Amino acid sequence: MGEEAGMQLNREALTRAYRQMKLIREFEERLHEEIQTGEIAGFTHLYCGQEAVAVGVCEHLSERDKIVSTHRGHGHCLAKGCDVTGMMKEIWGSQEGLCNGKGGSMHIADIDKGMLGANGIVGAGAPIAVGAALSNKIDGPDENGKLAVSIAFSGDGACNQGTTFEAMNLAVVTKAPAIFVFENNHYSEHTGDAYAVGTAQDIASRAEAFGMKVWRADGTDFFSVYDTFGEVLEFVRTPGNGPAAVEFDTERFFGHFEGDPQRYRGEGELDRLRATRDCLRKFREKVTGAKLLTDADLDAVDTDALGTIEQAVADSRAAARPQPENVLENVYISY
Amino acid sequence: MAKMMYRDAIRGTIFQEMQRDPRVVVLGEDVVGGMGTAGGPEAIGGIWSTSTGFYEAFGPDRVIDTPISESAIMGAAGGLALAGKRPVAEIMFADFIGVCMDQLWNQIAKFRYMFGGKSVCPAVIRMPCGAGYNAAAQHSQMISQFVTSMPGLKVVMPATPADACGLLRQAIRDDDPVVFLEHKFLYAMTGEVPDDPDFVIPFGHARLARAGEDVTIVASGMMVGYAETAADDLAQDGVGCDVIDLRTTSPLDEEAILDSVEVTGRLVIVDEAPPRCSLATDIAALVANKAFASLKAPIEMVTAPHTPVPFARELEGAYLPSPAKVAAAVRKTLAYR
Amino acid sequence: MSRIRAFTMPKWGIEMTEGTVAEWMVKEGDSFTRGQTLCLIETAKITNEVEAEYDATVRRIMVTGGSEAEPVGALLAVFDEGAHSDDEIDAFIAGFTPAEGGVAQGASKTKVAEPVGAIAGTPERVRVPIETNRPISPEALRLAEEESVDIAAIEGSGRGGRITHQDVVKAMRGPASPVLKGVLALPEDDAKVFASPLARRLAALHGIVLAGVIGTGPRGRICKADVLALVPEPANSDTLAPPAFVAGANQPEIVPFDRIRKVVAQRLTQAKQEIPHFYLRLSARADALLDLRGSANLVLGCKASVNDWVVKACAMALVRHPEVNVQVHGTDTYRFPHADIAIAVAGPKGLVTPVVRQADRMRIDQLAAETRRLIDKAQGKGLGMEDMEGGTFSVSNLGMFGVENFDAIINPPQGAILAVGAAQRQPVETAAGGVAFETRIALTLSVDHRAIDGAAGAQFLQTLKTLIEEPQGLFA
Repeated sequence: MGEEAGMQLNREALTRAYRQMKLIREFEERLHEEIQTGEIAGFTHLYCGQEAVAVGVCEHLSERDKIVSTHRGHGHCLAKGCDVTGMMKEIWGSQEGLCNGKGGSMHIADIDKGMLGANGIVGAGAPIAVGAALSNKIDGPDENGKLAVSIAFSGDGACNQGTTFEAMNLAVVTKAPAIFVFENNHYSEHTGDAYAVGTAQDIASRAEAFGMKVWRADGTDFFSVYDTFGEVLEFVRTPGNGPAAVEFDTERFFGHFEGDPQRYRGEGELDRLRATRDCLRKFREKVTGAKLLTDADLDAVDTDALGTIEQAVADSRAAARPQPENVLENVYISY
Repeated sequence: MAKMMYRDAIRGTIFQEMQRDPRVVVLGEDVVGGMGTAGGPEAIGGIWSTSTGFYEAFGPDRVIDTPISESAIMGAAGGLALAGKRPVAEIMFADFIGVCMDQLWNQIAKFRYMFGGKSVCPAVIRMPCGAGYNAAAQHSQMISQFVTSMPGLKVVMPATPADACGLLRQAIRDDDPVVFLEHKFLYAMTGEVPDDPDFVIPFGHARLARAGEDVTIVASGMMVGYAETAADDLAQDGVGCDVIDLRTTSPLDEEAILDSVEVTGRLVIVDEAPPRCSLATDIAALVANKAFASLKAPIEMVTAPHTPVPFARELEGAYLPSPAKVAAAVRKTLAYR
Repeated sequence: MSRIRAFTMPKWGIEMTEGTVAEWMVKEGDSFTRGQTLCLIETAKITNEVEAEYDATVRRIMVTGGSEAEPVGALLAVFDEGAHSDDEIDAFIAGFTPAEGGVAQGASKTKVAEPVGAIAGTPERVRVPIETNRPISPEALRLAEEESVDIAAIEGSGRGGRITHQDVVKAMRGPASPVLKGVLALPEDDAKVFASPLARRLAALHGIVLAGVIGTGPRGRICKADVLALVPEPANSDTLAPPAFVAGANQPEIVPFDRIRKVVAQRLTQAKQEIPHFYLRLSARADALLDLRGSANLVLGCKASVNDWVVKACAMALVRHPEVNVQVHGTDTYRFPHADIAIAVAGPKGLVTPVVRQADRMRIDQLAAETRRLIDKAQGKGLGMEDMEGGTFSVSNLGMFGVENFDAIINPPQGAILAVGAAQRQPVETAAGGVAFETRIALTLSVDHRAIDGAAGAQFLQTLKTLIEEPQGLFA
C-alpha cells in the first residue's frame, strides 16, 4: 500500500481521532486508579491499548449505523459518541448516569447514538448486531445507495462462542449488512489465544469459512485500522454484498478485569507492549513525522482530554445517587 | 365474527399487523419453508401453518427464514427490536428455549432495565408449547414457569382463537418484549374471532370462563378447556366453579384470582408444568399470602408430575392434567373440613 | 262437640322462629287431660314443657322427638276426642295450612328449608355504604360496609395498595399478640449429624452418640432403626411418651445378719442410741451432666431436674451395689434387686419422703414425670401411705437453697441416705498445671454402719461419682 488513506485526513479529523483515542486512554487510566480506592463498585474491564480499533472503526460511522459492544466496552461507547460524563456517572452508579445507575460498566448503552449496549455475556452481542443489520437491510439504502451497517465487536474470547458462529451464518444467508470486528488482544480472560483459538490465532479465517470477505490489520495503528475498515465498510454498505469481517491484532494494557493480578503475562511484557504497541505513541510519531500535526497540537489535546476526565470524575462524585424506590423502575414500559 | 381455527387466528393477526405496520417482521426456522430447495420458497410455509403466504406478500426482508440457530433468531429479534422494528420471532418448539436462553433472559428481557429505561424492545417471541402429541421430553414442555419468572418479559397464554387474535395483536403492538405461548394442541381449535382489525385484549385481564361461588379454578392455555369441562361436569352436581383463564401470566391478574377466592374460599390451580417453582406454586403463594383469611380448604394444585414429559400415549396421558383430575381436586377441596 | 285440632310449634317471644320437639310425653292413641305435659320443646334460648290446654286424644304425631328443628306454626301433632276416622285425620293433615303470618306459612312438611332459611338464616346485615375511590375488592367492600370498618385506616396489601378481604379481616381483628416460644438451643451435634428428630430423641434416650453412625434413611439420614440397632438391650422404647409405669414385685433377698454382723450391729446400736451413722463425702464434676440435661430435656421433651438425674444415678449405682440398697430390720438386712428411692420433699406440713419406685428401671423422662407427680402431690393435697411406704435409699437435696454440703439422717429402715449440695463453680488444677473452672456437686452419704460397711458405701459413692461425671453411663 502506498500513501495511507488515513494520512489524507484533514487537521480537524486527525485531531478529533487523536482526541477520541486520548479520551478513552485517560478515561481508562483514571478508572484504573479510582477502582483501587474502592469507590467504584462491581467488575470493570478496561479497554486501554485497543483505542485505535474503536476509534478507527467508529470515525467512519454515522448515527444510523449501529454497534454492539462487549464487556470491555468503554472504548466503543466513547468512540460511538456516548457522553463522557454520563458514562463516568454510570460507572459511579449515579442516578444521573447514562443508564440511571442500573447498568454500570458492562451495560452502557445509548440507543439514540446507535450504541446498542455493552454486554456482560461474552459472545452475546453478535446475534443482536445481526438483528440490527437486518433492520438496516429492511430500511434499505440511503440517497447515495448505501446501506447503514451494524457492527458486532468481539474479542478472541467471543470468537469461540457458538452464538458468534450462528450470527455469522445468519448474516451470510440473509445478506445482512453486518460487520464482525474481531479484536484479538491475545487473551480471553486469563487464557492465551495460542491455546484457546483453534484456528492458529487466526479468527478471520473462521469468518472466511462462513463465506464472508475478510480483512486483517494491525489494531495498534490507527491508520491501518482506519484504512482497512474504510474498505470493509465500502463493501458492506453496498446492497447485496452482505456481511464482512475484519480482525485487528491489538493489545490490552490492563488485566481482564480490574484486580486481575495478570500472572499470565511474560517478563516485562507490559512494558514492552507500552513501548512498542501503544497506538497513541504510534499516532503521534506518524503525524508529527509527516508534519500533519505538531507535538504542541497533540499536547494541547492531551491537556484538554485530561481536563474533560477530571471534570467527569468530579461531576460523578457529586452526582445524585439512586434511591431505593428506583429499583422498581424501567423493567417495563407498561405493566 | 368469523369462525376460525386458533392457528388461523394467529396467522391472520400477524398478516394484518404486517399490512398495517411496515415495522412488523417475521423470523424463524422454516417460517417460509423450502428456501434453497427444489420446491422453492413456501414449499412448506411453516410447520404450524402460522406464516403461510407471508413470504409472497411481504418478501424476504420482512419474512426472514433463518437457519436452525435459535440463539441467532432470539438475538436478531432483540437487535431488530432495539433498532426500531417489531419482530415476531418463532421458536419452533418452546423446548428450544434451552439453546437461546441467554438471548431471551440476559438480553431481551433486561435491555430496558440495564439501559436505565432508555431502550425499547418490542419483540414478540412465539413459542409453540405443551404436550399432547406424544412428542416426548424435548418437544412437549410447558415453559411458562421459566418465562413468567423473568422480570422484563410479558407472558401470554391464549386459550381460545379469539384470545389468540386479541392477545397477539396486543403483543405485536406492545412496546415491551412478549413471550407468546401457543399451545400446539389448540392449533386446530375453532371458535368465533372478531373481525375488527383493531381488536386487542389488554394484558393482565383474566377472563371468567365459568362462574360459580363454590370453588375457584385458575388455569391458562390448554388447561382452561380442561377446567371448563370439569366445571361443567361439577355443575351437574350443583357445584359452581369460577373458572379463571389467566390469559397472561405476566402481568398476572391478581385481583381476578383474589376476588374469586374471597367469595369461594376454595382454590384449584391447573398447570401443565411440573409442580415445583411453577405458575401453580406462584398462585398458591399469592393466595396463601393475600387471601389466607378467606380459605376454607387447602389449595389444590393439579399439575404434571416432577418428571420429564414421557413418550408413550399411556404415559403422556398419565403425565398431563385432565378434566377428571381437575374435578377430583375440586371435590377434594369441598370434602375438606 | 267434636273437632280435629292441630298442635303446632308454638311461638315464645318475638325472636323465636323455630323449635325442636326434644321428647314426646304422649304417644299416638293416648288420651290426655288439661294440664298434662305433652312434650318438651327446645329453642335456641330455652327448653320448655308444653302442657295440654284441653282434654283430647293423640291421633297423629307428625314430628318425632329429637328430630330436626321445625318452624313456628309447623304441624307437630293432631288431636281429637277420638271420634274421627283415619281418613278424616289424613284429610285434615292434607288440608292443614299454617296460620297467616306464621313462620311455617306455605311450608310443606317435607320442605321447610326454604322459608326457614329465609327467616331463620343469617338476616341481611345492615350495610353502611362506604364511598371511596381506593382500590378494594368487592368482598372486602361488602365486609367493611357490613361491619362498619374504617377502610381509611387500612393499608391495602394487593397490587397498588388494593384492599383485600383479608386486609379488612385483619383490621377487624386488631393487632395480634402471638405467644412466642422463643429460641431453643440446638443439640450440640446438630451441625454435624443428619438425623431425624425421632432418631435424635431415641439416641438421647439411650445415650448413643450419633456422630459417625451410618444412616440408612433417605439420602443417608439417620433414622429410628439405625439408632435402635445400636441399643444393646432390646429397646424398651417403642413409644415416645413415658408409658405408665407399673412397679412389679420387689422381693427382697432376706439375708440374716451373720454372727459378726449381729455383733457389729449390736455394738453400733449400743454406741449410738439411734442408727449408727457414718459419713462419706466427695464431690463430683457435674459439667457433663448439666450439658446432657439440657440436650436430653430438649430432645425428650421432659423437664428433668438435676436432682432427677442424681436420683437416676443413685438408682443405677444402688443396683450395682446391692449391699447399699438395703433395709435394716432388726437383725436382718433386706437387700433389694431394685432401688426404691425416697426423695426428701418439703411439704406444707414438713419434710415428707415419697418413694420413686424402681427408679433404676425408669427412663429419665419417666422418672422426671414421677417425681413431678409426687412433688405436686406432696405440696398439694398430700401423699398417701402408699406413696411413702418402703424405700431402699433416700436422696435429700438442699442444693437449691445454696447449701454447699450437709449430713443427712438415715430414714429407717433404709440403709443409707445421700445429701446433695449445690452445684458450684470451682477452680481446679489442670493437667498442664494451669487453673480451670468446673462445676462440682458435694455429695455426703450417711450410712447405717450396722448394715453397710465403709468400703461398700465408698464403692457405691465412687460408682455414683462416675455416673455423674460420665453421664452417658446413665443410659447403659
